[in-house]
Amino acid sequence: MSILSMCQWIQDTSIGTSIRESIWVFPIIETIHVLGLSISVGLLLVSDLRLMGVIMKRRPASEVYEQIKPWMFIGFAIMVITGIFLFWCQAVKAYNSIFFRAKVILLVVAAVNAIAFERGIYRKIDKWDNALVPPVEARVAGWASLILWAAIITCGRTMAYTF
Amino acid sequence: MRALIPFFQWCDDTPVALAIRNSRAAFPIIENFHLFALTVLLGSIVVLCLRQFGLILKTQTISEVAAALRPWNRWGLAVMLTSGILLFLSEAMKCYGNTSFRVKMLFLFAALLFQFTIYNRIVKNEGASAPIGGKIAAGVALCLWFGVGLAGRAIGFLG
Repeated sequence: MSILSMCQWIQDTSIGTSIRESIWVFPIIETIHVLGLSISVGLLLVSDLRLMGVIMKRRPASEVYEQIKPWMFIGFAIMVITGIFLFWCQAVKAYNSIFFRAKVILLVVAAVNAIAFERGIYRKIDKWDNALVPPVEARVAGWASLILWAAIITCGRTMAYTF
Repeated sequence: MRALIPFFQWCDDTPVALAIRNSRAAFPIIENFHLFALTVLLGSIVVLCLRQFGLILKTQTISEVAAALRPWNRWGLAVMLTSGILLFLSEAMKCYGNTSFRVKMLFLFAALLFQFTIYNRIVKNEGASAPIGGKIAAGVALCLWFGVGLAGRAIGFLG
C-alpha cells in the first residue's frame, strides 16, 4: 500500500468525510489549531527567550523552563490533536503539498532539537542555572527552536493557500 | 454604517491596497507576519494570565512577569496592527460587508481599551498573588483577546 493510497483511505473514512463535509466542524477545529499557537508556541517563546538569556535572567533557567513546560505540552497536545483531525479530512491534498511535507520535516527537526537540548547541555544545568548569559549550546537551542517554529507556522499557513 | 462606505472605498483604492492585491505573494506574506504576531501577543497575554491565576512562574511577582513580557506584548501588538491594517486595506470593501470583521473590530477596541486603561495598571501593582479582582481582569483580558482572534479567523470562514 503506497503512502498516497493510505492517505486516500484515511480521508475516505467516515470521520474524515464528516469533518470535510460539515459546515462547522472544520472551521472550529481550524480555529482551535490557530489560536492554540498562542499557548504552544507562545509559551515556547518565553522559555526559549530565557534559554537565549533575553528575559527573566535573574531567575534560574531551570525554574522558568520547568514551570512553563507542562503548559507548553498542553498547548502542543491541542495542536497535535487538532492537527491530526485537519490532516485526516484532507490527507491526499496534504500529502501532495510541498509545504505540508516541509512542515512535517521541520516538526521532526524541532523535536530533535528539543531532545538534544534536554539530553545535552540541560544535563549540566547546575553549572549555568544562574548564569546571566547561558552557554552557547543553550542559546543555539533557543534560537534554533524559534526559527524552526516560525518556519513551521509559515509552512502551515502557506499550505492552506495552496489547497 | 452606510456613511462609512466612502471611507472603506477610499481604503480599497489606496496605492498600498492596489499593490497588495496585484501581488500574488504580498497577502500571504503579510498574513504570515500577522500570525507570528498573534503568537507573540496572545502568547504573552496567556503567560501573564496563567501567572495571575497562580499556575506558572510563581517565584516571580506578577509585576515582574508583566515587566519581562511588556516589550514582547508591545512589539507583538505593533506588528499585529501594522500587518492587520495592510490586510484590511487590500480588501476593505470585502471587510465592510463582513459581519465577522465588524465583530472583530468591536472586540479589538474593547480589548485595547481594557488593556490600556485597566489591565496594565492592575498587573503593574500585583505582587505574589492576584486578588479576585485581578483574576477576573485576567479572565476578561483573555476573553477579549481570544474574541479578537476568533472573530478574525471567522472573517475567512463566514461572511
